[in-house]
This record gives sequence, structure tokens and C-alpha cells, in this order.
Amino acid sequence: MKRALFGGLALALLLTGCGTQSSEAQIFAMNTFMTLTVHSPHAREDVKAATALINQLDRELSVTRPESEVWALNHADGNPVEVSSDTAALLKAALELGEKTSGALDVTLYPVVKAWGFTTDEHQVPGEETLSALLEGVDYSAVSLIEGEDGAAVTLPQGIELDFGALAKGYAGEVCADLLRDSGVTSALLRLGGNIQTIGARPDGKPWMIGVQDPSRPDDPDAVLGSLAIVDQAAVTSGGYQRYFEQGGVRYWHIIDPSTGSPARSGLSSVTIVADSGTLCDGLSTALFVMGREKALDFWRQEGGFEAVLVEDSGEVWITAGLSEAFTPAGESTYTLHIAEA
Amino acid sequence: MKQRSNRFWLWLLGALMVLSGAIAFWVFTRTAAGTTAVVTLDGREVCRVDLATLTEGYTVSYTGEGGITNVVEFAPGGVRVREADCPDQVCVRQGWIKTGVAPIVCLPNRLTIKITDGQPGQLDGLVR
Amino acid sequence: MTTKRLTTCALLTAIALTIFVAEAQIPLPFPMPGMKLGLANVVTVYAMFALGPKDTFLILLSRILLGSLFAGGSTLFYSLAGGLCCYLSMVLLRRFLSPKQLWVCGAVGAIFHNLGQMGAAILIARTPQLIYYLPVLLALGIPAGGFTGLAAQLLKERLGDRVP
Repeated sequence: MKRALFGGLALALLLTGCGTQSSEAQIFAMNTFMTLTVHSPHAREDVKAATALINQLDRELSVTRPESEVWALNHADGNPVEVSSDTAALLKAALELGEKTSGALDVTLYPVVKAWGFTTDEHQVPGEETLSALLEGVDYSAVSLIEGEDGAAVTLPQGIELDFGALAKGYAGEVCADLLRDSGVTSALLRLGGNIQTIGARPDGKPWMIGVQDPSRPDDPDAVLGSLAIVDQAAVTSGGYQRYFEQGGVRYWHIIDPSTGSPARSGLSSVTIVADSGTLCDGLSTALFVMGREKALDFWRQEGGFEAVLVEDSGEVWITAGLSEAFTPAGESTYTLHIAEA
Repeated sequence: MKQRSNRFWLWLLGALMVLSGAIAFWVFTRTAAGTTAVVTLDGREVCRVDLATLTEGYTVSYTGEGGITNVVEFAPGGVRVREADCPDQVCVRQGWIKTGVAPIVCLPNRLTIKITDGQPGQLDGLVR
Repeated sequence: MTTKRLTTCALLTAIALTIFVAEAQIPLPFPMPGMKLGLANVVTVYAMFALGPKDTFLILLSRILLGSLFAGGSTLFYSLAGGLCCYLSMVLLRRFLSPKQLWVCGAVGAIFHNLGQMGAAILIARTPQLIYYLPVLLALGIPAGGFTGLAAQLLKERLGDRVP
């Protein structure tokens, strides 16, 4: 009886589910752990290709690796540097985002971030004078990107340094998703540190269910604010809880307001962005965190093209209208939910 | 304790053996309290699938720290290791598990698959 | 360590390792994680009574370390935990056993080998449900251990006090 049952089961499998394979890889790149899960007829090769692409981007875009293009740019003493198409594309997106957000996202903030010690973990609070001197050199609009027929060249004025830290993971997820879609993958989940990039829906056809971390309990992965149902999109969160240090009873986090040079204190504890483009998600989660709730929602109404979950220090949660159905609040929650209308 | 006769040891070990056998029989006729397959690799949960709601089978490969890969096949109502490159192949030969309490184990790759009543994978990922 | 002792230990280790590798080629009648005949334990039981705990420890440890190279995968911790538990139980038990009772040593050693290995597996895989396999492993391990112990007993009777 049992044997017949299993035989039938095996036969049913042969007829139905054999075409799809799934493969998963865990890698460490861009200073974080990543898990790539792909469901497709050639999942192993797909995962390998995606892994290779991420490692390549890590080499090109890292601000700390001496062999990276970003390093070359930051050490070019004002001379133009030829860059790969990835670096050019990401820089272009970064400059556009800088423009759109009126500088709330600025890829030239690196010297300030260094001064706070977030690059080396030797944290310190820089003096006012140091900061104002460093802020002189923070200006994304001074970066010149010239795209020609056979490549792109970037010129950074002396004293200006680039850092794609706020964008690289989002970009990596986006181009990996493009690569996988091109090879015919219809279902994949890329977990790049705390970033999520999805391709299609789950193998069972349902949307991916992605939890949003409760910023008041950052160390507990089971503590979620709610969950987002996502298909073929990316989701990225920025929060003051992600990287910070404390000095004299004050908490200083890694999201710096480019207008002050100090950690952005906008009343938000985390911002989650959902959009088609992972780069946009990554950049806007930082920029909207800097803006604060009111400006962020205004920005959403004006620009559109993305949805957001804003969590305020006060315990209020704002969901943009497009997420009202996709977002399910967690069962027990101390947060008050608001839907922001367009 | 002094030296005991062969008969003493025979009875003691025989009784232990019969007792173990009885418990083993009881264990393997029990059924698990749920339909959710949970896969752990190196002691970490990597996957949770509700087999009762699955309509189509699919496979996932898990490669552990030792470089061994187990190809796990989830199907409506059952889960098994379809193939593996571990030396003993015990996990593959254990075949399908559906409702039993005894998990599938690949000791060389530190992979286990068990059936529990846990909530089936509500979350696929976490943004943080 | 005298040359003779070293040679004896090396010889017994080689024999144990050979048995271990050969045994790995024998397919199990039914799949059970952690189950094996444990024939290499013939050497352990024999050495425990012919050479004493110190040499046995060296032989067993060498056999486990070298054996894990042949076994592949991350099985070293399981074997170490099982082997050490088995060894300790034998050291404690040997005084209470006559030369006609080496089979008891094999059976008890098998029980403790299973206990140690199971404990290590539960800790490493963090899957307490593995304990469900313990009764089967014990029910089969006791006779299997008894027979390997008996083999060691017959070997010791044949060789007498002559150490190889």
C-alpha cells in the first residue's frame, strides 16, 4: 500500500515538477552576508552567474579595495578616469537621485563619513570646524561624468571622494535580477544583507512575503513591524539602528545628513522603500530618512515611482497608498498605522 | 562492584536491547503533529515549506560548509533528499518522509529535514 | 615509548583503519544515520585488554583522525564524541570483566559510542528530534557490539599473552 502510494507520488512528480530546480548560495560580499535563491530549470548555473556578477561589482565599486574603480577615482588627484559601464551607470543614477532629492542623497559624502569613523569602526564625534571644512568638499554636482561611444570617463575635483555605500547593494540586486530574468528565471529571491530583491513570485505562484524589521527591536529577526507582499520588485530599509555608536549618552548613526554633516535626526527611525529598481530603493531609503516624514511624503506625492513605509520615533507608521494592500501589520504591535494618500 | 557472571550481562544487555527495540517500534509508528517540512543546515533553519498546500513539486540544493550538496525535493505531501554527494548516501536512502517524527539526516553535511506543526513559511525574507 | 610498543600500536592502528575503510564499503541493510557495524572496535576491545588504556587511546585516536580523512564530510566530531564516550566506558568497565567477558565490553562500548555520537549530532545539527533514532541504534548496536567484542575475545584467546 505504502509502496504504491510512494510510487504514485514519484510518478506524479516526474510528470509535474521535474522541470524546475532550485539552488541557493550563501556568499559574503560588499561587507555583508547574501543568500541567493533561484528556482529555474538551470538554477545552479544561474546562481553561479549571479554570484560572479556580485563579486565583480564588489571589486569595482568598493571604496576600500585599492584595486576598485572607486578607489582609482578617489585617488586620481582631479584627473579624469575611465570607468566600466557598471560604475558609469551607477554614478549616473546616483547623480540623478542627488538632483531629485535636492542633495538628500549625496555620493560625495565619503570624507564626512570617514571623519565619523564609520569606515574603520574607530568611531569619534568630529568637531564643528572639521565638519564644516569637510562639507565644503561635499557636492555631488561637482562630479563630471562624460559618456562617449566607447566608454565613460569620470572627473572628481580634488578633495572630492565618492562612495557608493548607500547604493551598491541595491544596484547589485537590480543588475543580478536583470541577468537572471534574461536567462529565463521567473522566480528568485536575493537577500543582500538587509536588502531584498525579488524576481517574479514564489515557486508556488504566491507573492514573496517580506518582513519589515521593527526598528525598536533591531537584534530580534522575529520582531517585525509587518510584512510586505512583493512580486518582481525590490525592498530596502534604512534605519538608525543599523550601524551606530554611542558617546556621552548620545547615539550617532551612519546615515549622515549632507546639509549638516551629522547623523540625520529627522524623527524617523526607519524608512523602507519598495520599487522596481533596487538602486532607487537603496538611494531613496537613505534620502527619505534624511528628509523626515513630511518632506518624504511630499517627495513621494511629487515624484512617485516607488512606495514607502516610514516609521517615526514616536511610534507612528506611515504607509504610502500603493502599499495599503501589500502591507500586513504584525499581530501584536505598539505602532499606530496611517495610510498616506496621494 | 565485583565481577558478574556471563548470565548477568546477557540478561542485562538483552533486556536493554528488547526495551530499545520496543521504544524504537513505538517511535516509528508515531505521526508528526503537522505538515510543515523544516530544513536545517549546519544547525541553522534554511527552509520551511507547508507540504499540505504545495500543488507542485520542486527541488532545492543545499551546500554545507564542508562542500557537500544535498538536493532536497519537496512534493505535495512528502519531502526527500533526491540526490547527494555525501559518502554514505544514508539521507538519499531514507527516501520520502511524510508524517513520521524521525527526521531525515545527512550527518556528513549536517543537514536535517523534519516534519513539524510550525507555522509554514510566513516570511521569505526580512528587510532591515 | 619502546620501538616494540610503537610498532604494535602502529600495526593495530593500521588493522583498525583497514577494517574501518573496508566496512564503509558494505552497504547498510536499511538507512539509519550513524548506524554501522563498528567492526574496527574489535581492535579497540582487544587493545584495551591486551595492551591497556594508554595504548588503546593512542590507537583509537589515530584511527578516528585518519579514518575521518577517508570518510569525507564533516564526520570527525561525531566520531570523536562517539569514540571518546566508548573509550571511557571501556576504561571504567574493564576491571569488572573477566577474560571471558570481552563481548560485554564490545556491547557496552557500542551503547556509549551511540550515546556520544547522538549527543554530538544533536548539538551540531541543533535538531533534538534526532533522538528518535537512538532506540533503533541501541537495539541494533548492542548485538553488533557484542559480536565485535566476542571477536576480540576469541582473538585474545588465540593469541594468549603474546602481543603481536
